[in-house]
Amino acid sequence: MPNGEMKKRIPIKNILFKLTGDGYDGYLIGSRCKACGEIFFPKRFVCANCFSEEIEEVPLDKMGKILSYTIAQTGFPGASVTPPFITGIVELPNKLQILTLITGYDFDKVKIGSEVNLYFWKAGEDDEGRELMAYAFRPTQK
Amino acid sequence: MQKEVVILGVGMTKFGRLTGRTLAHMAREAGLMALKDAGVNYGDIQVGFCSHCLQPLGTGMECFAQLGMTGIPVTNVEVACASHTRAVILAAEMIAAGAYDMALVIGVEKMPRGGIPWGDRSDMPYEYLTGILPMPGVYAIQAVEHMHKYGTKPEYFAKAAEKAHRNGSLNPNATYRDVYTLEEIMNSRMICQPLTMLMCSANADGASATVICSKKRARRYTNKPMRLVGWAGGNPMYVKGKPNNPLPEAPNEYLAKKVYEMSGIEPNDVKILQLHDAFSAAEVFLLEELGFCLHGEGGLFVWEGKTEINGKVPTNTDGGLISCGHPIGATGGRMIAELCWQLRGAAGKRQVPGNPDVAMLHNQGLGGGNVMMFTI
Repeated sequence: MPNGEMKKRIPIKNILFKLTGDGYDGYLIGSRCKACGEIFFPKRFVCANCFSEEIEEVPLDKMGKILSYTIAQTGFPGASVTPPFITGIVELPNKLQILTLITGYDFDKVKIGSEVNLYFWKAGEDDEGRELMAYAFRPTQK
Repeated sequence: MQKEVVILGVGMTKFGRLTGRTLAHMAREAGLMALKDAGVNYGDIQVGFCSHCLQPLGTGMECFAQLGMTGIPVTNVEVACASHTRAVILAAEMIAAGAYDMALVIGVEKMPRGGIPWGDRSDMPYEYLTGILPMPGVYAIQAVEHMHKYGTKPEYFAKAAEKAHRNGSLNPNATYRDVYTLEEIMNSRMICQPLTMLMCSANADGASATVICSKKRARRYTNKPMRLVGWAGGNPMYVKGKPNNPLPEAPNEYLAKKVYEMSGIEPNDVKILQLHDAFSAAEVFLLEELGFCLHGEGGLFVWEGKTEINGKVPTNTDGGLISCGHPIGATGGRMIAELCWQLRGAAGKRQVPGNPDVAMLHNQGLGGGNVMMFTI
């Protein structure tokens, strides 16, 4: 890191994803039921299919396709994102659907079916000055 | 053998920004109206439920105490926007099982301006912590997918809103009673593409009340009550092999199927429909999910006028959530009241012609949903 100065970066909400490296990389945490094989996101502690508690964490794919989206012209006061922004659902190769912020598109260019990649962004800071990280998807760089 | 259940009385306040009116005041007005409509007094009520979402603890006790203090159990019920109808289902199941003969549900809500508070930050879902999913976004994302999959046009969603505002103009209880052209709706402020402001419902204050009764006991008061012949309540359902749905949605098709089976009624028999149009695009999706048309056909169904008051399936004849406004704990009771007035032929200027005798209801909120079937 430049200047050796690195702010501590933590997930804005636990159990959703793990940050690696400098905190701008990482992966979404899926959970796989050891009994029936179903995979869930966000992580579950009891399988929604067979109710087993034997769940293991699995890293999810970092690439997916836009299943649907909207351009939000309204938001919550004080929220991390300010309108307008693109929000939608990304489908991973294993068919899991992830609700997510989508960035990197001109609003008239975003399209269903486009390939997008996972990345992490700073959504705020907590009282101790730690950076609160969130996930989003953006176009696959060619 | 289950006992048959009827809706004996309905009541509601006008919905709107009712500044200065207390919960107790609104509950008393709606409650007394329903009791008088039923021809009973509070002493006849054996069990009570109070549906609300954002009010303080003790609300149910306080509201029911306005009508009387007879020692009956009064319980608060919260299923977000589907609270009132879920309370009616609980009452109906108790009556069907023979535990009671008469129940009262009061739904009451005073809504904050803007967003709905979420409680402790540690319990806030990620979408709300980050702000990435404003409520209209839930429906807008589905609307964009529907447009992509089926070629549905934004005009179709606007048409549902245009009809809602027009119906609402005939309803003195509605919050918003102005009529808008399709163009005005399309050109109003964009909220979440493709949904504009006039395609969205807005928070409102209000109360509603429903008297539920065994059919046998109801004979003392009327020879033509609205019968509740089918009901199903449910919350999100995980189905192996189906894609997970990251949006909070009720298992509408499943609930509708259960209600069709229980009542022996088919979509073709339904003469009037109330569905949960928090955003006008929902009318398109729900007509499909409830079985009134095939998937992908909901947009044209609306566009061709089939959900108009004089159409094939008159839908949200009172203006729906879009025009009535949305006091979340009271909305379900407003839906039941409208169907009751319609089946009695007492809906005034917005009366569906031809003496409708079968009515269906769908009410949902943050994953919970309820479907009901009524006949007269």
